[in-house]
Amino acid sequence: VTRSDEPILPLERVVTHELPNGLRVRLLVDRAVPTVSYYTFFRVGSRNERIGVTGISHLFEHMMFNGAAKYGPKEFDRVLESRGGTSNAYTSNDLTAYFEDFAADALETVVDLESDRMRSLLVTPETLEQERQVVQEERRLRTDNSIFGLMEEQLESLVFQSHPYRWPVIGWMDDIARITREDCLDYFRTYYAPTNAVVYAVGDIDPDHLLDLLGRHYGDIPAGPAVPPVPAGEPPQRGERRAVVRYPAQAPAVMVGWRGPEARHPDSAALDVLQTVLAVGESSRLRRRLVEQEEIAVSASASWAWRMDPGVFLLFLELAPGMRAPKAESILWDEMDKLATKGVSASEVRRAQRLLRSMVLHELATHSGVAHALGQAEALLGDWREAGRALELYAAVGARDLKRVAREWLDPTRRSVVTLEPVEPGSLRRRSR
Amino acid sequence: MSEKIQLPPLHRERLPSGLEVVVVDRPGVPLVAVRLIVAAGSALDPGRGHGLANLVVQVARRGTARRSGTEIDEEIESLGAELGCAADEDASGFGLSAPSESLADLLDVVVDVATAPMFPMREFERVRRREVASIAHVLDEPGAVADRAMLRATYANHPYAHPPDGRRAHLAALRRRDLVEFHERWYGPEGAILVIVGRVDVAETLALARRKLARWRPRAAEAPPVPPGPTPVERRVLVVDKPDATQVQIRISLPALARSTPEYFPAIVANAVFGGGFTSRLVESIRVNRGLSYGVRSRFGMSRGGGIFFISSFTKTETAAELVQVALDEAARFADAGPLLEELRRAQSWLAGLHPLSLETQEQLAEKLADAWLYGFPLEQITEYAAGIRAVTPEQCTAIARSWFPVDGTGVIVAVGRAREVAKQLRAFGPVEVLPASRVV
Repeated sequence: VTRSDEPILPLERVVTHELPNGLRVRLLVDRAVPTVSYYTFFRVGSRNERIGVTGISHLFEHMMFNGAAKYGPKEFDRVLESRGGTSNAYTSNDLTAYFEDFAADALETVVDLESDRMRSLLVTPETLEQERQVVQEERRLRTDNSIFGLMEEQLESLVFQSHPYRWPVIGWMDDIARITREDCLDYFRTYYAPTNAVVYAVGDIDPDHLLDLLGRHYGDIPAGPAVPPVPAGEPPQRGERRAVVRYPAQAPAVMVGWRGPEARHPDSAALDVLQTVLAVGESSRLRRRLVEQEEIAVSASASWAWRMDPGVFLLFLELAPGMRAPKAESILWDEMDKLATKGVSASEVRRAQRLLRSMVLHELATHSGVAHALGQAEALLGDWREAGRALELYAAVGARDLKRVAREWLDPTRRSVVTLEPVEPGSLRRRSR
Repeated sequence: MSEKIQLPPLHRERLPSGLEVVVVDRPGVPLVAVRLIVAAGSALDPGRGHGLANLVVQVARRGTARRSGTEIDEEIESLGAELGCAADEDASGFGLSAPSESLADLLDVVVDVATAPMFPMREFERVRRREVASIAHVLDEPGAVADRAMLRATYANHPYAHPPDGRRAHLAALRRRDLVEFHERWYGPEGAILVIVGRVDVAETLALARRKLARWRPRAAEAPPVPPGPTPVERRVLVVDKPDATQVQIRISLPALARSTPEYFPAIVANAVFGGGFTSRLVESIRVNRGLSYGVRSRFGMSRGGGIFFISSFTKTETAAELVQVALDEAARFADAGPLLEELRRAQSWLAGLHPLSLETQEQLAEKLADAWLYGFPLEQITEYAAGIRAVTPEQCTAIARSWFPVDGTGVIVAVGRAREVAKQLRAFGPVEVLPASRVV
């Protein structure tokens, strides 16, 4: 029923270039759909921040949509939408990515828009104040009124004591309130120069034409200063760390985190396989045991997010009403212990590898997915070509590797645990008065 | 550049049982998407059995004559797929997307689960406990509470008034026999479609579908009914109390158009100008000019028997009334004067330009084809989408706003937040009813 496989990501067809000002460019032609996905990755995220201005990377991402010299306030999206395109951006601990998806004939407009804001962003007091309020509202939505958000913020602050990963990407509310226009301008000069950026375009493009366009539009932007180094490093963890979040909720919840390796570490792929064994799919270990058999949780999930510096391997359990956190924890510790002592079966590894293969194929099924994968690989692993190696890395992981990485990275004495302790609705308000 | 969409050839076949089969060979990454849909959703839940359609589809995957629930999970997942099972107001179904080489094995499981579930008692009881617990967790998500309250306030006694996952008390009263009967009555091949999109050999795939589905006999004598349209509602305010919230979730909604409406394109375009994209009137007035919210949008939710129009946003407790006022003012202004030509052209280009992206993956195309069957719209709505969008006039947009936007004292305002403060603020808009959050589940 199937056809023979072609290479999933034709790396040999990627066209690369670097402008004299240091801007790097990676292009891939794919005419399956008459659209283009255009990404600009800046190598800056919350890890480049300092205490007092946490959240500036993310607030700044919002400011990038508020006008530049040629396309003034409110123009960016208007011009793009009128040409059949859409745009968005995200900020992570490590990077800030801007992207546009659009009908192929809008390419020149997009290059003009993106180069305009890299060259000459405007930061007016009015737009900064308005955007500050928008971000505070975003923080209320995703963190202050979200159980997962509240717990995750606590967990990262437990797992990291000195590394900038200890504060949230959106920033602390007080810092969002105090970031100044000068902070923003300084940030723009330091981190938004062509030297610190890479452009990716995937889709219905003509590479020669596009390279010419890029040279004309970005060529005169001056190369930036050297980016200050990030104070990496973290003191050793000498025992379990704990925090409690008290919040009105229907049931307790448990979140656990371990400091894992950096993305470039050879164990990163094995930890992806391990999280799939643990919590992806109905037949994963934690879902089967905690949700199906013991019925103590309504959901069990894992997340191992690759980062530039050592990141977090996270587990999250939402308990069923009436269940208690200590019991859920003891079952969870039992499962983690089994993992480290008895390992996993070959069929579990195979199941995880196949699920991961599907995941990679799905990611590479769209122009946007391909462009993002190239950018992510270059930012986190130092080379866009790594985007084509994911399948090979997963395929190389064996059952023995999983047992070893479970012991090495998920040791009980080096875990951090946040529990949600439900309180009566209304009790937080009363106390805070 | 022509904006007409060239779909790959669709190979359709109606099996003797009445089942509609559509197979599409499409190049790209070696994935295949499979959807098996029956035209029976939560609108068919009995009056005291809200959540039945969803429970049927969830328990169906927990065992057949040939496989236990555990075996189903293992078989599907060891092939690199995850089986999605869901019911919405109009349909129930199963879907997955996986590497093409596993199609035959995966289809075997999907067909088994859809056509021959055993509803084992133990699994029925367990899944029901899990669903009841999951509904409780909805209470901790203010946005989800607001959505549920909105459906209930807008649709009143209509079958679309309850969310597909139902109510805790109703689930507790359901028996296994209810599931078996629902399945027997409504899961028949004459009210179903199988869509397969991917890198497949068409002849072999059609033969495979015929073989796998040969034993699915027509059972339901009656076609599942399409629910009647909802009736209009007066302007009123429903406040759901979350005493510890620092933000209010807000919805403003009213009954609107069914998916089959001839006004489909005007509705899509009018909404895009008003509250669709990043440069819509609502985003401009609420986010850009006033910093009241991080997100605001409006949308026509269109179903088979009717639909709703709603505005959705959130803001800090102190500015709830201001946000509602701005949104209603914008609706009135739009209904009065319609869109500027420049706004209309921008929205049309935006919608037309992005349309190809909504068909980029195998899953997206499979879903669109299943929708065309379910809602009965012609494929030209997909292939000639851009032309339909570009033909819309300013007058048509104005007419849409006058009929379906919350103007002239229509539209229910739902607010989820600190009731004491929010109710006081919103009194000016209409009679206020305050509900504890627990009443919503």
